[in-house]
Amino acid sequence: MSTLIIGLSISMLLFLLAAGLTLIFGMLGVINFAHGALYMLGAYLAFQAHATFGSFWPALIVSPLCLAAAGLAIERLTLRPLYPRTHEFQLLATFGLILVIEEVVRVVWGLDYRHLTPPPGLTGSVALFGSDIARYRLFVIGFGAAVIAALFFGIERTKLGLVLRAASVNPTMAATLGIDVNLVRSLVFALGAGLAGIGGTIAGPLLPIQLSMGFTIILDCFIVVVIGGLGNIKGAVFGALLIGMTRAFGQLYAPEWIDIATYVVLLAVLLVRPQGLFAAKERLA
Amino acid sequence: MRMRVSGIAAATVATLMACVGPAMAQDSFKIGGVLPLSGAFGIVGENMRRGAVIALEERDNKVLGKPIQVIWEDSETSTQVAVQKTTRLLSQGVHTIFGEVSSGSTLAMMKLTEQRKVPHIVTLSADDRITGADKTRYAFRTSNSVAMENAMIGEFARRQKIAKVYGIVADYQVGRDMWTALKADLATKNIAIAGEDFTPIGTKDYSILLDKASKSGADGLMLLVVGGDVVTSLKQGADVGIKDKMKVFGTMLMDETLGQAVGPGSIGINSTLRYHFTERSPRNQKFVAAYRAKYNEYPSQYAGEAYDGLSWWLDTVETTGGWDKEKWVDAFANSTRFDSVEGVKKMRRCDNQASQIGLFGTAVAGTGELPPVTMKITETFGAETLFKPCS
Repeated sequence: MSTLIIGLSISMLLFLLAAGLTLIFGMLGVINFAHGALYMLGAYLAFQAHATFGSFWPALIVSPLCLAAAGLAIERLTLRPLYPRTHEFQLLATFGLILVIEEVVRVVWGLDYRHLTPPPGLTGSVALFGSDIARYRLFVIGFGAAVIAALFFGIERTKLGLVLRAASVNPTMAATLGIDVNLVRSLVFALGAGLAGIGGTIAGPLLPIQLSMGFTIILDCFIVVVIGGLGNIKGAVFGALLIGMTRAFGQLYAPEWIDIATYVVLLAVLLVRPQGLFAAKERLA
Repeated sequence: MRMRVSGIAAATVATLMACVGPAMAQDSFKIGGVLPLSGAFGIVGENMRRGAVIALEERDNKVLGKPIQVIWEDSETSTQVAVQKTTRLLSQGVHTIFGEVSSGSTLAMMKLTEQRKVPHIVTLSADDRITGADKTRYAFRTSNSVAMENAMIGEFARRQKIAKVYGIVADYQVGRDMWTALKADLATKNIAIAGEDFTPIGTKDYSILLDKASKSGADGLMLLVVGGDVVTSLKQGADVGIKDKMKVFGTMLMDETLGQAVGPGSIGINSTLRYHFTERSPRNQKFVAAYRAKYNEYPSQYAGEAYDGLSWWLDTVETTGGWDKEKWVDAFANSTRFDSVEGVKKMRRCDNQASQIGLFGTAVAGTGELPPVTMKITETFGAETLFKPCS
């Protein structure tokens, strides 16, 4: 049972990291290679906010907001001119963004590892089912579930969500109905970048904050997103749960096979359902 | 007759060239520094570069009366890139290659430096093959080997009266080799192995493994992980109080740099150290003062070892008084550094491995000007206990 809880915490962290990626692809049709770099920038900003305000909670607000603002600028300056072009241009642009973001982080924060501590009430552990589970992990599970609920509610049950979906499914029709499609696109990218900021902040107390952290995480994000179906939030939740549990139980029984097990799951899904388990064609831009 | 005269003249010129050639057209002493200045080991490479810079500045950037020109190349934490950059440097006619961090990269670079007969100074990579099965005439290691680190860990476990050890080991060749050798050593000390797990480099969650270790009945946890995984495992271990349940130790598991990344959870972690800035030797005090003046921080073990190895090498080159690489190599192979930053270091001619003391430390809270997490040296092992005599 404790393995299940730890697996759930791994899954929620994976979801938080992959949510922005899948949202941007689902709504904009952009495969954002720079998502890992944004996540890394989010972790560094969280470190800086923590150092400035002396607490984790302001970091959890400041970092996503800064990333959302950066997302707005990135979308306006680099992606908007490229929407009419093929995906290759977007891939190149987002790859270029990685280099820019990494260089900025290197200049501002240097190469040293940075440290982010959990808030005082979430340090230490509690005994559950015969194991000590870190309180912060339980928070990650709860926080991840709240973000899932907020995303589902926001996209499926609100007027804003309706506008987002309309603009992604048929931007021309949406524009004729008076929707400012460019603004919607900017907001979606900002939301995706903000989610990367949330992911970076939440991961900060668990993982080393370093320049290469985005590179190592982006692969996991893509696995989750591909399994779930590109651009599908429900799929991202399921993909994160599948990979999180595979990793948790893999570590319990055969840790040296854990990477292979992850890729076997990915291959199996691609063989059975190449478009991903929850792919919704109408969502693809 | 004319042909005979020409032949004699040609032979004379050739002989003269052989004698004076190495000294001709040498307007600078070129060092090719191949280090990871970006990627996972970027922080390590940057620290090594800083230490090396102090070694050069200490001698006014000169050796053999000529300025030293260092060409730094970023290996990007990739063996393939390290090999490409080394090949390029060798084609530029460097007199010495300095680096790398990763043992795999160093071993690959050694093949190139051997082919081109260029001296190669290794100040961090620990794989035993560097001065063992794959040793070359031209590569010298001035820092610790895996065997040396293992000997310290085994001795530490014995002195701490640890009865059972659980091993969490990075799943790569050096990690597995090191763990296999350590298990054999622990067996001779009647220390049992409670369990072992091999985990891929880059593992982002260690909580299940740490939970297994804490339930195994072991009173010692050997964490044999590398790079960012050290921080990940210790951060996650601190959350569940792993160090309160068992003695946590490992090779290069903790220092001031890693302590900064892990935070207060570092306190109490035990680790081998290649070098420590608190060493009392006059050379070290001079080095630390210069380093602090330039970088406004204490030198890390990566910086200390880089400084020590490179300054030893350049001093040796100076003593030869000439530009013959073969003479440099011979001189270094027979050299003893009486005033290294860690006391006496003696280069073993049999394997080009520096015989030296070994340091073991525990992380404590830093006071005053010291970093927030500072290593306290708890054990110093003599060279005679760490090295087998050359056969």
